[in-house]
Formats: sequence, structure tokens, C-alpha cells
Amino acid sequence: MRHYSTAYPLSWRIFDAVEALAKRVWPARFAPWLPYLLLLPALLVTGLLVIGLIEIADSSLHVLDKATFRSSESYSLENFERALTASLFRNIGLRSFLGAILVTAVTLVLAFPYAYVLVRTESPILRKLLLIVLFLPFFIGQVVRAYGWLIILGNEGILNTSLSFLGIGPFRLLFNYWAVLFGLVQTMIPFAVLMLAPALTAIPKETERAAESLGANWIRTFQYVVIPLARPGMVGAAIVVFTLTLTDFAIPAVLGGGSNDFIANAIYDQFFRTSDAGLGSALTLLLIIAGSAAVGVALLLVGIGTLGLAGHDDD
Amino acid sequence: MTGINQIARYKLSRRRFLEGATAAGSVAGISTLGLGQAWADEQPKPAEIVVRAWGGVWVESLKAGVSDPFTQMTGIAVRHDLTEDNEIQPKVWAAVDQGRVPPININWDTTINATKSALRGVTEDLSDLPNLANVLPVAKPEGLEGVPLVNVYAYVYVLAYRNEAFPSGAPTSWNDLLDPRFKGRVALYNDGIGMHAPAVVAGGGKLADIPANMQPAWDYFSKLKAQNPLLGEDPDFTAWFQKGEIDVACTISSNAREAKKNGIPVAWTVPKEGATLDTDCLWIPKGLPAADLYWTKQYVNYAIGQAGQQAWLGPLGLPGVVPGLTPPEDLVGDLSYPTTSDDLAKLLQVSPKIQVEHQSEWFAKFKEIMQG
Amino acid sequence: MTDRSKAVVLWLLVGFSVVTLSAPTAVIIGASLTSGKIVTFPPDGLSLQWYAQILGAFDLRAAFLRSLYVATVCTLIALPCGTLAGIVFAKHRIRFRKGIQVYLLLPFTIPLIGSGVGLMLVFGAGGLLGSLWPVGLACCAINLPFMIWAVAGSANALDPDLEKAAANCGAPPVQTFLTVTLPAVMPGVITGALLMFILALNEFLVSLLLVDSRIVTLPVLIYNSIRSIITPDLAAISVVFVVVAAMVIAILDRLVGLDIFLKSK
Repeated sequence: MRHYSTAYPLSWRIFDAVEALAKRVWPARFAPWLPYLLLLPALLVTGLLVIGLIEIADSSLHVLDKATFRSSESYSLENFERALTASLFRNIGLRSFLGAILVTAVTLVLAFPYAYVLVRTESPILRKLLLIVLFLPFFIGQVVRAYGWLIILGNEGILNTSLSFLGIGPFRLLFNYWAVLFGLVQTMIPFAVLMLAPALTAIPKETERAAESLGANWIRTFQYVVIPLARPGMVGAAIVVFTLTLTDFAIPAVLGGGSNDFIANAIYDQFFRTSDAGLGSALTLLLIIAGSAAVGVALLLVGIGTLGLAGHDDD
Repeated sequence: MTGINQIARYKLSRRRFLEGATAAGSVAGISTLGLGQAWADEQPKPAEIVVRAWGGVWVESLKAGVSDPFTQMTGIAVRHDLTEDNEIQPKVWAAVDQGRVPPININWDTTINATKSALRGVTEDLSDLPNLANVLPVAKPEGLEGVPLVNVYAYVYVLAYRNEAFPSGAPTSWNDLLDPRFKGRVALYNDGIGMHAPAVVAGGGKLADIPANMQPAWDYFSKLKAQNPLLGEDPDFTAWFQKGEIDVACTISSNAREAKKNGIPVAWTVPKEGATLDTDCLWIPKGLPAADLYWTKQYVNYAIGQAGQQAWLGPLGLPGVVPGLTPPEDLVGDLSYPTTSDDLAKLLQVSPKIQVEHQSEWFAKFKEIMQG
Repeated sequence: MTDRSKAVVLWLLVGFSVVTLSAPTAVIIGASLTSGKIVTFPPDGLSLQWYAQILGAFDLRAAFLRSLYVATVCTLIALPCGTLAGIVFAKHRIRFRKGIQVYLLLPFTIPLIGSGVGLMLVFGAGGLLGSLWPVGLACCAINLPFMIWAVAGSANALDPDLEKAAANCGAPPVQTFLTVTLPAVMPGVITGALLMFILALNEFLVSLLLVDSRIVTLPVLIYNSIRSIITPDLAAISVVFVVVAAMVIAILDRLVGLDIFLKSK
């Protein structure tokens, strides 16, 4: 039989061996469970954070004893009560949520055309340039980047100096809520573009051309063809931007001038300034619950529990 | 115990500080490392020790003034960990809790922060340091058991200002920050640190009101909030002064001085209400191997010796805790480098213990006003 | 509504993004060339002195290599974890899908400080602090949704009929996976992996709690060295970082051809 088996290319034999192995490890009757097996690594890696959360949950149930700077032995809900009733945290919470919604909307409006041009352009050089521009901000640390903004948008910055030639300004462009939102949008654009781009590559150009040849102008083509087909990517991008904005720490700290904190800044303060890990933990848990609930509701509303094909959605 | 008792005790300690400061103390044990030489020989040396420090001029002065001489004398390398003081704290606490060797051998820390660590019981006792015999009383912490930390110098939260904004001379009062022409041009630390005591006085109260009656401070901060102040940290202040964003800030004198040295047109002053005087310290976390602990203590011992203090604190422009140090030329007669009892009387001191006890409460109130 | 108006609208929006994304970087690049002692723009005279200074700094190079190592570990873990999970979301009917999606989004809904403190306690208890690879694992854990969602997002390229066809032709499951499923989601895998790598290379908030001074990574080193003044050497480091990263992207492009994956068919 030897001459017979050599008639197959080597790769076939390797495939056969792998298939046989796969069959042994995961027999066909387990097939319904295969998706869960495939999810397992991701569940485990994320599980690391969950183990950490258990510690945080425990810590949230103990009040700080200022005589020993340790958490008290007894359990109590006092930290949650403080977190939920103090007007400071309510203000900050509202500010964070409102900010996250606004930033998500604006980011999508800017990221969509960027991703579209990125994947549709015929010029490989332009594509690479757009890609590099996308990654640039990551490499300039937050503090140094904030300094760059100061040089551009500060009272005596490039923009205000230019405006003064026209006889207007100077305007305080930095260190307010709008500056924070602007900085967040700038930070989030790359994420949104990279979430959208793969979805857009999957939409064949012919589909668009077909719509246009049927007389649709480009706005209608976008409205009825491109955007609906890109919806999984849009939902992904929106959820990523929303959650990252909601929990952001650095931008409000460096562009908010200190009086536009988000929830994560309040959490930082408790862990690192007042050494009150209990209150910090309570705020952390509340933020996670609120953020997860928002995501859950969004997934239900959007009606595509899956990011993939709508036809597969069953729940 | 009541706050008033604590103030009384603290006043006493301030007097002790003065007695020490004015005494022409004899200088002993400059170059020897103290403790028995025979025992020292038996202690195996670690290859290096890690000292947490602040970056920039802070770590440079420590390296040149203490770490390098220490390495020369002992052959032990010194690595500097530049993690912020408040960010290293949970790391050290977790290490001690979990029975691990802590990530640093020595924490160069604010006395407030260190007091929390001492209360938590994560600090080694330092009462056997030989050079403790020669330091001013202020070096030893008040109201804590043993010597869980040694204070190494004092510093002042001055009112720093852009020269241009004050053509007719330095501001004289913290209330000048409320002048409408500085709307949006005032900066404070984002946790309000350094401002509480002056705010109480500027708000019509007295130093002795702290902590019983903080209302004058909250009134003052509320008025200040209407000025749209910027809240940040030292690098922010420097950048904001440089780029013309602000005219006045409450900051540590060393940082204002460093900015000035780098060509930024700032000066500083202690207004008539006074300015906060605080201390920084060194402490050793629990959990080091015995031999490491021994050599780590030698480092601290050198840092509070005459030679170490002079070389370390000169570039920082800070008054140390051994008598007889020579102040930097540019700071002679400057209230931010207090040397006499008259100087100290013009500054505002709140005991670390009171500050620690009320920190989160004051912090919450400050944030509530500023984040409104 | 002509093609012309389409181009104008698209390029106005893209132009705004391009300016916004690159302006601070451009300013910092300019400022790094100053001959003065303070970061300023336009620079105070031209000089490469700050570059000379950082190139001589051993600790910076060591920290940079550590960051590369962390980013590599992170990406290697993320590739299988994220790709498989992304494919599941794209093509499988599973129970509790939304619950699992919300769970797998925890890395984004947990604020980084919470993740950092939690991981510090978990790794500390496990005796893992002091090594570098757990930092890579941590970077993977906090950014994994990028990988999952990028892969899942490219899923509409995945034609279920094509998979069925392969199966009908007798292709066994592993072969179908390797020759049909995986190539279909490759754009998502590439963009996701690139993002994971770059984010890990630049991560500082969680790393801050997981490294010590002996294994400090570059972003942590930079963040920590800013005390009272932002000195031009920090600007120079950022620029060198950008250049090296651009080179990494170029090499990656040469090896796997980013263009193929990001260009619509």
C-alpha cells in the first residue's frame, strides 16, 4: 500500500492526522459543545480580571478604619451608600455617561468615512499613510500629548495666535468639558476605525456599484447599502468606544483642568490618594454594573446579539 | 483624644524644632556608617537596594547627595524607582499583606502618606539609627509608636506667580487669588493639598480652627471656584506658567525654583496669612530580608547625617533636619527656607496626624466644591 | 449628489481626523529638535542633542526591549483567544450569547485602575509579580475585546454557504476551519493583532501596578520620569518610539501584506 499513500501530498497526510487527532480529542457527538470550547481561552483570560473583581467586591463591603488604615472586619454597605448618595459622585457619574454618549456619536461620524476611505482607496501609499496616522497618537504618552495640545490650543497657542491676526480671541479652548470630549474623540477614532475597517472590507464594491447603477445617489447608497451591511462593525465600534470612554481616566485628568473628572478619576482618588480602597472598590463595581447594563440594553435594542450574520441571531 | 490636644502637642514639637534649629549642635558621625563595624562585616551585602524617589531635580539631588556616596562607601548599587508616592503605596501594602518582599527598600514619601503606612503597621522601626542622635526633634514623627519614619526636611507650599502679572510687586495675600483679573488664571494641586490652612486663614478663620471649624476654608474655596481655577500637578503648573495659561499657583517652592532655573519667568512668595509647612520623610517597608534591612537602614542613616543632608538638600533648596546646614545663596532670607523662629511663626503647620485623620473628608469636600 | 460631492464630504471628515490625530505628534516632533532646555514650539533653535542623550541611555533601551517583549507575549496570547471567540460570535448559535458578550466586554467596562489593582492582587498571590510575561498576559486581558470584536466584525465576509459547501464536498472540520473560515476573518485577525501589539507596547496604567523598577517598561518609565518639567528628551523618546513602531508596521507589512487585508475586494 505504500505507493498508494505516497500518491497523496504530504499536506494531506498532515491534515488527516490532525483531523484524526481532533476527532479523538473532541468526538462528533460533542459537536454542540464545540463553540463553548472555542470560547474557553477568552473566558479564562477574562477570568483573571474576574478573580480580581472578587477581591474588589470583598473590599467594597468593608469600611476603612482610619486608626489602622485597614478595612474593618465587619461587613457593611456603607461604601455603596456613600457612593450612591454623595452629590459629588452623582455629578461625576452623569458627566461620564453624557460624555460617553456624545463621544460615541461623534466618533462614529468621523471614523466611518475614515475607515471607508482606508479600505476603498486604490492607492496603497495613501492606505499606509492613513494607517500610520491612525497609530501615531498611541506612541506619544498622554502627558506629552496633552502638552502638544497646550502648544496648539492654549491661550498663547498656535490656533489662538492665528486667530489674533484676524482680530479675535484669545479663547480658552482647553481645560473644560468640551476639551475633554474633544480629546476623547481623538483618542477613540483609531479604535473605531479599526473596528469598522474589517466590516467594510467585507462589503463588495459591486454591491455599491449596483445600487448606483440603479440610480441611487451616494448618500442613498450609504444609507441603504453600505451602512446596513457595515452594521456589525458599527455596533462593535460603538460599544467599544462607549465603554472605553465611560471608564477613561487619562483624558479628563490632563485636558479637564482638574474640574471635569470622570468616574475613573474618582476611583483613582480613592485608591491612590485617600487610601480608601473600600470606597474605590464600591465605585468600581457600580461603574461596571452601569456600563455592563448599558451594553446589555444596547445589544437587546439593536437586536443583533451577534455581530455576524443577522440570520444567525436567535436570542 | 481631641484635636485641640493634638494641636497643643504639635505646638510643643514646633518649639522643640526651634530649640534644635538654634542650637549649635555638635556634628558627629559624619562619615562612619554607625553600628558596630564587626557586626556590619557579618551582614552579607545585597547587590543593590531600591529607593523610591520623585523624578527630575528630586532624584538627581538624591543620587548625587546620598546614593552615589553610599555606593562608594558600601559597594551596594542604588536603583531609583520613580513611581509616584501615592501610586507605590498600594503596591507596598499589597506586598506586605501577601508576605512578599516589597518592591522598594526605602520609600521617600510625604509624611502624611507615610503616617498612613505607619498606622497600618507596614513600616520598620528606625529607632536604632545612630544619626538620630544628632537630628532636630522634627525628624522624629509625633504621636506614632517608635520611629516608623524619619522626617528629612521641611518644605513650603508657596504662592508662585508670573512676574509679568505682577508688575508692581509680589502678591501679598491669598485673597489676591480672588481678584477678577485672575479669573481662569489660578492653579492649585488637584487634591487641594497645601491650600487648606491658608484657605482657613484667608477665609477669616485661624490656624487653631483646624480641624474643628473648616468652614472658612470651604467659603474661600467656593469663592475660588467662581474664578475657574485650574487643578493639576507640578508638571502642569510649569507648563501652564510657561505657556501663559496661569498667573498664580500654590506649589512647592522647590518646583517653582526649578521652573525658574529653567528659564520660566516665575517668582514666589509667602503671603501675609502664611503658607503651609509640611515635611517629607524616609521609611522602610516590612518584609525585607534581615541583611537587606541592615544595609537599607545604613542608607537612611547616611541620608540624615550632616554630609548627606547638605549634599542632597542644597540643590532642592530645602531646610534639612540636622543643625548647621548651609542654605543655598538664593534662598537666604527667603521664607520658603525657614531658618529662624520668626520664619517659622509666619508659616502654617498642621500635624500629620490631624491631616491623615481628616484627609478623605477634606478631600471629598474640596472635590465637591471644585467638581460642581 | 455627484461623486464630487461624495469626495468633498468624505475628505473633509477624513481631513479633520487626520489633522486631529497628527497635530500633537507633529508639534512634539518639532519640539524634540529644540536646542533649548524646555519643550517648546516652534523649537528654540535646532539641535539633535536630546536624541544623542537618549540614545546613550541604557535604561531607556532596556525598557524599550521589555515593552517589545510584553507586546509580543500579549499578541501571542490574544491571537488564539480572540480569533476563536470572534469566530464563535460570528457563526455559531450559542445559548446565553448576550450574557457571554457582556462578560467578555468586562475588560472595557472595568476601569483600568480596577483591573490593575485586581491583577496586582491576583498575580501577587500567585507569586507572579517580578516577572515580565504576566504583564503581557495582563495587557492581553485588558484589551482582548479588541481582538474578539475585530474578528467578529469581519464575519460578514464569512459566507455560511461556503462552509457548508466545503463540508458537503467532504472537507473535514479542521480543514474547513483552516482553509475557509480563517482566511475569511483574516482582516479582523490582522487589525486586531496589530492593535493588541501597539496597545501593549504603550500600556502604562495597569503595567504601573505590575512592574517594579527592575522590569520597568518604557511607557511607565516615561510617565514616572515627568516630575516638574516636561523636558525635550521625553519628546525625543516619543519620536524615536514612533519611528521604531513605524518600522515594525513596515516589516509586518512586508511579511504579511497589510494591504491585502485592509483593501476591499
